[in-house]
Order: sequence, then structure tokens, then C-alpha cells
Amino acid sequence: MANPKIPEFKADWKEGEEGRWGMAIDMDLCTGCQACVAACSMENNVPFVGEEMSGYGRQMAWLRVERLWEGEYPEVKMTPFQPVMCQQCGSAPCEPVCPVFATVHSQVEQLNLQVYNRCVGTRYCANNCPYVVRVFNWADYDRPEPLPNQFNPDVTVRRRGVMEKCTFCIQRIHKAEDQAKSEGREVVDGEVAPACAQACPADAIVFGRMDDPESRVSKLSKDGRAVHLLEELGTNPRVAYLKGGSNGNLG
Amino acid sequence: MQKIFELLKKPGIQLALLVVILVMVSGAVGLFYFQTQVPPAQPIQFPHNIHIGLQIQCLYCHPGAWRQASAGLPTQQKCWACHGQLKKYWQPEVPVAQWPVELQKLRGFVESNKPIEWVPVYQVPDFVHFNHRPHIAAGVNCENCHGDMSKKTVATVEETVNMGWCLKCHMERTQDDPEKRIKLIDCGTCHY
Repeated sequence: MANPKIPEFKADWKEGEEGRWGMAIDMDLCTGCQACVAACSMENNVPFVGEEMSGYGRQMAWLRVERLWEGEYPEVKMTPFQPVMCQQCGSAPCEPVCPVFATVHSQVEQLNLQVYNRCVGTRYCANNCPYVVRVFNWADYDRPEPLPNQFNPDVTVRRRGVMEKCTFCIQRIHKAEDQAKSEGREVVDGEVAPACAQACPADAIVFGRMDDPESRVSKLSKDGRAVHLLEELGTNPRVAYLKGGSNGNLG
Repeated sequence: MQKIFELLKKPGIQLALLVVILVMVSGAVGLFYFQTQVPPAQPIQFPHNIHIGLQIQCLYCHPGAWRQASAGLPTQQKCWACHGQLKKYWQPEVPVAQWPVELQKLRGFVESNKPIEWVPVYQVPDFVHFNHRPHIAAGVNCENCHGDMSKKTVATVEETVNMGWCLKCHMERTQDDPEKRIKLIDCGTCHY
């Protein structure tokens, strides 16, 4: 399908641009253990919403492990485990719709930012996200003692009425860049790992520089097994999914 | 003139004037007390001026500033490393009660082995991630933001610390470096 033209009054994106940071997820390696989900929530101060709010579909995990059924009931085949987080689209549908410019594209990191202190909670971006990865703080969720002790000081604790999403652990990117700059060098491949990639026991999540053709992630994204989610929408996602095995559906 | 005095004799006008004056006074008092940048109370009235007069570097007590985000506040051990050695205060003929008041407080913290709970003065909100290191590396001096500490005892807020103030400096210093400017005015540099 031809790429439909996305209104480009905000995202400063050019055709064929690879972006700066990228991720490759090997779905043949993923066992669906949810370690990435837990690690992400811990790293990014994501609140637990509790049973009642979950019932309303207000879960706040920035990362979910998706699995779908294929086919009619007796002949059901499972799709592989698929961790879905913000795809950090090069041409993000969430960006042009924000009335207060709270979700903007970083020209430096080539990431999709969410500026919490600007957000007024219209939830327009979440409704426009084809990957459904944005989550909204419907309330100031209770964090009983001693849970506040494990807050990550590098990440904002969001308030009620603020939209949030995966940031590719931008606080870790900044830390590594700061470290590299103080040593007068560039960030080397493998120096930055977001919480999900660090926690993955199967090493299924690989993170790194996309503009470096020698990095592990850019080699994997050019692999023949790599696909991008909803590529036909022309959002130019930065996360590549590698798939080619049988997913246990033998025969 | 006569007319005004006549008017002022009316109780209704007097009452109205009283209300107006009350509103103005309470507004002024409120502005004074509830402004956001009042320096907080400190456990010890630390005399910065004396210490800087002795040519002690800022980075001796706030060493984090040149290598990490937070500059850090000294522990009582750091204070005592110098003050414990100052013979003047070790001489037995000078009892603790005759020490300067603030040093007696320090002695109290050391003896009870309790941390000195300094109150940070320059604070940014939770959604702002300030890092000292790149500022020092870029050649910004302490006094550019914190004022001349050699004239102050406890730290006070010298500048209106808001985003406009940050950006003003970021813009000024990157006037002829558009690439750096993009980095320094990017939302994601401070807000995440």
C-alpha cells in the first residue's frame, strides 16, 4: 500500500530516515515471561492501578506482551509473544493532534517525547495511536509504604490527568550520553539498554544506535526476518520485530 | 480640598477606605510570605562568606557539581574533618559552651552522629531534570546562578529559577551554534 501523506506541520521527518535510537525484538526468542513489563514499571515509576481500574481497561503498563489467536476454535494457532511498546514513530500520528504541544518530536534524540508538565489530558494522542501504547493517569494512584522508596529519581512521578508512554528509557540515554561526553567520545553500541532490554533473560530485546550501520540493532533491523508493526500506515516505527520460527505451532 | 475632607467624614466612605487599605496590606503581606522563592530555614546558619574568605573552593564541599547531576551537601564528617582539627576548639581550657553558637550545633550533630539535614535552596520541580556536570563543563561558574557567595551567610535564591531563565542563557550561549541550540532547547533535554 502506498504511504498516505501524513500532515507534516510538526514531525520534522524525512522519507527513509532511520532515526537515532532503535530497538529490535526477536519474537522467536521471546518466551513471554513478562520480565520486561515488570522492569519497565519499576524503572519508570509506573503506578499499579488495582483490580477495579483494570476492569475499566485503565492498566498503565508502558509495555505489554501481546499474543493473539489465529484461526477458528479447534484449529487455533498462537501468534508469537510480541512485546509492544511505543514504537517511537518517525512520523507519529500522536504528535500533530496534541492541542498543547505536549507530545513533540525530539530533533536531537529522534524520539517521541511526552512533556508531562505541558499535558492537559485531552487523551487525543492516545486515541490517534495505532499501536494503543499510550496510557492515561485516571487517578492519583495510591502507593502504600514502602513502595515510594523504590521510585526512580531520574523519572518524573506523573500526576493525575497526564498521558504517558514508553520513552525508550530516555533517562538512561541521557546518562550514557552525559558519561560519553564527559569522556570525550561517542556512545558505543551496547552502552545504553532500556530496562526491558536489560531485564530480558532471553536477550530478545536489543537496543542501540540506528544511525550506526555497524550496531547490533541496525544489523538486526535489516535482517530478512524483520517486520514493523502496521508498516502500511507510514508511521515509520523504530521497533523491528524479528519472526520466522514456527512459534510452537509444529505441523 | 474641603470637599474631600467633607467626604472623609462620612462613615460609609471611611469604611470603604478601611477595606481598601486592609486589602492592600494583606496583599503585600501575602506576597511577602507566599512567594515561591523564600530561602528555607537551615539547621546551621552556615557562614559561606567566612569559608570563601579562607579560600575554600566551592567544589570542596559540593564535589558532585563537576561530575554528576546533584552538587551534594556536606556531611557532618566533612565539616568535622577541618573543624575537629582546629586546635583552638580542641584546647581543653575553651569549653564547648564558649564556642560560637553555630559550631556548638555542629558539635552536637557530630556527637549524636546524626546527619545535618541541610535544606536545598535551588530546587527545580520533579519534572525538571537538572544536571550540574554539563554546566560546569561548559564553563558556567557557580556564581552565574548562585550569586556571590562570599557576601552571603546562608544560601539564598538569587535568580528567578524558571524555564524562561534557563532558556534565556541557553539561547544566548548558542547564538552561533545552531546544532547545539537544537540540543539545548529540546524539551527532552530536561523534561522526561
